[in-house]
Amino acid sequence: MDHPRELTVPEPRVWDRPVVSVPVLVCLSLVGGQLPSFSTQANLYTLGTGGALIWLGLGNRVPRRPAPRRLGAGALWWVLPAAVFGVFEGATFVLHAGDDFPTLSRLADPLLEDELVRSAAWFAWLAAFWGLVRR
Amino acid sequence: MMRALAIGGFVAALVLLAAVEWAARRPGSRIPSLADVCAYVMRYEVGPVPVGRIGLFGFWWWLGWHFLAR
Repeated sequence: MDHPRELTVPEPRVWDRPVVSVPVLVCLSLVGGQLPSFSTQANLYTLGTGGALIWLGLGNRVPRRPAPRRLGAGALWWVLPAAVFGVFEGATFVLHAGDDFPTLSRLADPLLEDELVRSAAWFAWLAAFWGLVRR
Repeated sequence: MMRALAIGGFVAALVLLAAVEWAARRPGSRIPSLADVCAYVMRYEVGPVPVGRIGLFGFWWWLGWHFLAR
């Protein structure tokens, strides 16, 4: 029996399923977590993984979820966290007071020296990137 | 004192982000989720150039490089 075109949902490709994509992202994150800051390897690995995801995201190789045609007035609520973050990041950056009034980067640096935390940060970055590629 | 203020400010921004996302995910909510906002921004194109998509990918790439490689 034929189904109307709009009711049929394409079968996700094998590599597009969480059972495949999550372990791949975990493996990439564990490798990234081993690379120290300011090293050539870390720079190349970040540029390589990010570049590959951008290449996937700008082509039509990965199926995308539909985007909303318009956002309602409720979207303005997102200005609130963005504004609070912007005020504090801007103030800490402009005052340039070092550890007395640190930027987010300066606060995150000691945390990211731990390999486990660094791997978790890598996973968060890659997973969000993968989510963007598929939107 | 100033250090605590900075930490408090960033934590407040994070808590607000989580709260808005939580509100967006409630049934019948009029607030779009962060993923929907990103998807909407990525729809923006100038002619054939997907400016929104390139911009958001570029920003996220820079963010990862800034925190994880520098």
